[in-house]
Amino acid sequence: MHCHETSAMRAPRLRPGLLLSALLPILVGGCMGAMPVPLNGLNRQLEQAGGHRNPALGERWLAVIEQRGGREQVQLIDLPQQRPVPLPGLNRADALPISVSVDARGERLALVRQLEGRSEVVLYRRSLQSLQPIAMGPGAIATAVGLRADGRQLAVQVSRDGLWQIDLVTLP
Amino acid sequence: MAGRRIPLIAVLLSTAAALGLAGCDGDGVGLGLFSRRQAPPTALGSAQQRRDPALSGDGRLLASIVESNGRSMVLLQEQPSGRVLALRHLRGHLPHRSPALSWNGRYLAVLLQQGHQTMAAIEDRLTGQLLRLPPPPGARVEQLSLAPDGQTLALQLVQGGQQRVQLFDLSTLLEPDRAPGLRSSNALP
Repeated sequence: MHCHETSAMRAPRLRPGLLLSALLPILVGGCMGAMPVPLNGLNRQLEQAGGHRNPALGERWLAVIEQRGGREQVQLIDLPQQRPVPLPGLNRADALPISVSVDARGERLALVRQLEGRSEVVLYRRSLQSLQPIAMGPGAIATAVGLRADGRQLAVQVSRDGLWQIDLVTLP
Repeated sequence: MAGRRIPLIAVLLSTAAALGLAGCDGDGVGLGLFSRRQAPPTALGSAQQRRDPALSGDGRLLASIVESNGRSMVLLQEQPSGRVLALRHLRGHLPHRSPALSWNGRYLAVLLQQGHQTMAAIEDRLTGQLLRLPPPPGARVEQLSLAPDGQTLALQLVQGGQQRVQLFDLSTLLEPDRAPGLRSSNALP
């Protein structure tokens, strides 16, 4: 992956988190001997944008739940371009995103969200701007999703009668 | 054949199948456009707590966290058989959580416990090597994601009470594990 810093990214600000990130390669140990390289431009941009959780990587995409101004919403970031892309129709002010996943091409996003006191699983197709609910059956509470990189199957963590299970959903 | 009437239900079923609307396999449930089934059971039985599912890009492998005797351990299974695949390095350092697989399942990343510290680790199932990635000092790692080609890692960290995500380039450490046609990895079991 090649990530180029934009001009807005070229004025480094010394923050503790970034300093630690820069030091991480020095502090990392492993059987392979070499060190991972922090993507400082993207990390700086993410840190400046607020809190984030639940990262999910595609080939050149990062889906993430952004926490800003007391609200949480799903963002899809184009990593080479270092900017979020629009997701019209996906985020709702009255819904709380719980877990998100993206396919390799950044075309499909799967989302668990809480809406009107219930958890629901939805599939979003970016090119169509379409949102389809996926029924998990009566009594099932979904809490996490993992989309296959080719976008053709979805793994869902669900609770039924207090037992955590994994359902596999085939997507057309 | 001329005078034979085809039952209405057969017509509806064949139409639905032709449109791909009612596909379900095994113990699956038709869901209109989708079909759903439970993940293959583990050798320890079906009444087990299982969470944090992750699929390889080709769908051949499923990684999940299974709780057994109060211990949380990563389990790697073939689909759809459910056959459990052995892992070289990831038997200890419990609890495990947040597994992720690369496209062909060459790399399995997971959070594991080393002493008092939770850290990310990536097992290369082709070479048998293990890459350990401790979090930055003062940060606690909560979740990870591995890019399908194994070239980027995302960590969700908690530091100073704040949640944040950091990305790392692994291209100097790991060969790409790409989809067939773009594949640079050798075949795996």
